[in-house]
Amino acid sequence: METEKFEPKIVAFVCNWCTYTGADLAGTSRLKQQTNARLIRVPCTGRIDPVFIIKAFEKGADGVLVSGCHPNDCHYNTGNFHARRRWIFFRQLLDFVGIDSSRLYFSWVSASEGKKWVDVVDGVINSVREKGPFNGYKKLNKEIEIPVK
Amino acid sequence: MNTYVLSKDHLNKLAQELLTSGYKVISPSKDGRRFVSISSIDDLVISPNLKPSAVSMKEFFFPKTETLFYYKRSKDEYDLIDAAEENHPQIIFGAKPCDASAIPIVSKVFNWDYKDEFFNKKVENTIIVGLACKFADENCFCTSVGLSPISEKGSDLFMIPLSDNNFACKVITEKGEEFVSNHSSIFTETIDEKSINTNDIKIPEKRFDSKEVKAWLDKNFNHHLWDELGENCLGCAQCAFACPTCHCFDIVDEECNHTCGRRAKNWDACQFEIFTKHASGHNPRNEQDKRYRQRISHKFKYYTDKFDEILCTGCGRCTRGCPVLTDIGIILEDINQLAKESISNN
Amino acid sequence: MKQLIDISKELFESKKVGYIIGYAEDKFKRVKPFVAHSSSDAERFVFSNYSVNNLAVYLTRLLKPKESKIGIVAKGCDIKSIIALIQENQIKREDVIIIGVNCNGVVNQIDEQFSKENTAIKCKYCQVRTPAHYDYLVGEIKDVDLPEDKNFAIMQKLESMNAEERWNFWEAEFEKCVKCYACRQVCPLCYCEQCIVDKSMPRWIDSSATVKGNFAWNMIRAFHLSGRCIGCNECERACPADIPLSLLNRKMGMVAMNEFNYRHGTDINQPTLIGNYNVNDKEDFIM
Repeated sequence: METEKFEPKIVAFVCNWCTYTGADLAGTSRLKQQTNARLIRVPCTGRIDPVFIIKAFEKGADGVLVSGCHPNDCHYNTGNFHARRRWIFFRQLLDFVGIDSSRLYFSWVSASEGKKWVDVVDGVINSVREKGPFNGYKKLNKEIEIPVK
Repeated sequence: MNTYVLSKDHLNKLAQELLTSGYKVISPSKDGRRFVSISSIDDLVISPNLKPSAVSMKEFFFPKTETLFYYKRSKDEYDLIDAAEENHPQIIFGAKPCDASAIPIVSKVFNWDYKDEFFNKKVENTIIVGLACKFADENCFCTSVGLSPISEKGSDLFMIPLSDNNFACKVITEKGEEFVSNHSSIFTETIDEKSINTNDIKIPEKRFDSKEVKAWLDKNFNHHLWDELGENCLGCAQCAFACPTCHCFDIVDEECNHTCGRRAKNWDACQFEIFTKHASGHNPRNEQDKRYRQRISHKFKYYTDKFDEILCTGCGRCTRGCPVLTDIGIILEDINQLAKESISNN
Repeated sequence: MKQLIDISKELFESKKVGYIIGYAEDKFKRVKPFVAHSSSDAERFVFSNYSVNNLAVYLTRLLKPKESKIGIVAKGCDIKSIIALIQENQIKREDVIIIGVNCNGVVNQIDEQFSKENTAIKCKYCQVRTPAHYDYLVGEIKDVDLPEDKNFAIMQKLESMNAEERWNFWEAEFEKCVKCYACRQVCPLCYCEQCIVDKSMPRWIDSSATVKGNFAWNMIRAFHLSGRCIGCNECERACPADIPLSLLNRKMGMVAMNEFNYRHGTDINQPTLIGNYNVNDKEDFIM
């Protein structure tokens, strides 16, 4: 029996002004890309509290991508700088607690970088596909899931 | 109903029999800080000298989080699925009187206007083996709330140490009697109840009169004592969660994903700021003095008014674990003093 | 502590303060926090090896409209919390009068005798036995037998584990959590008017004490304190489930030190770490 090939689920938090627009451009330019990523639009990467990232993993994401404007290009001037500093802490916290921080990806993608967006997303999906599914929360979710008879 | 003699070997054999037949066997943990479900008789701890655990055994009757039902959404409909029935027979060893007596006290509110079947089923399926207590410190006051180190309230079987290795085991309830007859190979030697010597079990002095305390609480809702107590308390729920008789709960709906989830009953505490926050934003107990007054009044007045029981067993866990050493025993002594002064002033 | 009592009484008599937060003994001679409202209250002040509480927490919980300032009796580590609160604009320096105390270590287990084995681990690394900031200074420095750092071995063991083993370690610890929020309530730096865990629309962190909810709560609290925690370890002391919370905060403190050479609560004029940024912050992990 052929087992189903693992297809990773990626959640991408993208900033409205740069990356989301860049992703849009990739779409209108009809660039081909894999479809495993679900985008969540936020006004700025500075809006992202790491609790969002944890919630994404809780809900079954195998990998999370956070993408925003390049430094000095933030629509709100400094949002991405604040975010960048937070991530330096958060990645080490994830590692310390036993969640592989390499499942969390960051990128700067501007509104005109449609091609870069496609490369980033494909890269993340391929990388997570190689790592395999993230099983940490599957066991924990059983505590609140409908029990299988 | 008889009293039997059990040696440590008997107890180990009994625990092993129960583990093998699928019972959940619960005893204090090795470090005495919690009650745990054991998987080997090496972990069985029965010691009258143990300090009360940091967290009570109510977890096994009223878990810190419990599923009421699951829901599944399909198009426009919701299916409700009952929570899995957990009818595991349980037995708890080493329950002090201040632990065991909490169950009948709290049963009254769980069977008041609505019968809480989750709680009741667990109580039905549990044998509580009480153990006389030889520990007492400045935080305990079981004798001031109508109990004592040898009180049998709440126990199905009650154990009193006879020597280092032997215990007298008294049958208290019919449930206990049935249990004994199902394990008759262990319960063989009987002893005359009257021959048991409890002189080496120190009965602490009463620290306050609960009737006088209640009378004071009836009339002093606005006393300045509450302001002073509210100043120190930080508003965590350590006291409520460690307490064997605190039973407030919060009901929440939690989704697992967008099509299914569960409704859960979780421990809650009147000491939290948001406990009485209304949807309008108004909070009648918006400050810690009001919240602490609620704690004392609920335990020593309101519960007595309703159910004729004191919602406290004098175990002292709240004090031992309090980060700022708010000592409920001292507070009640102070209230008793105030009560005496106001009586003599009148 | 005659010096401490005299200074406190003088502050009340000259109407310099509305109240002073300090330590006093209860009926059983145990040391606990005490708020003095008058000179006669101040007679009860003590300070000893059993003065474990971080009283700075009252500065964010007891704020009442005040006509005058608040006095606070504080040891070196507690003063770091006060400085941290000032750095974060929660209180003004001129609103507090700090009565600093020369500290000779505090107990680990308050119901047992103070000794080398029963000394808080944080005391081993203390560099502020004479506090760095104060308005008044009382007490004498004595020689202290420093305790062993049992947590160092645990940290090393954790660093040597792989991700799955670490996850299992923390899963076992967080399984015990009962969500009492004692850790949050004793922390002087957890002063948010509405904590993220209490927000129900939307629900970010499950309020249920499931392992999943406990993981999220403890991780996010550690993250919200990263670069802000000064290491008083009151959270670990208050936890009724004996969870080693200090390991999480210690790790975040190490990140702040190693990556940014920053220690919160040491320099009153220093801008906060997490509240600011540098255009040259590293981004080697960004694609």
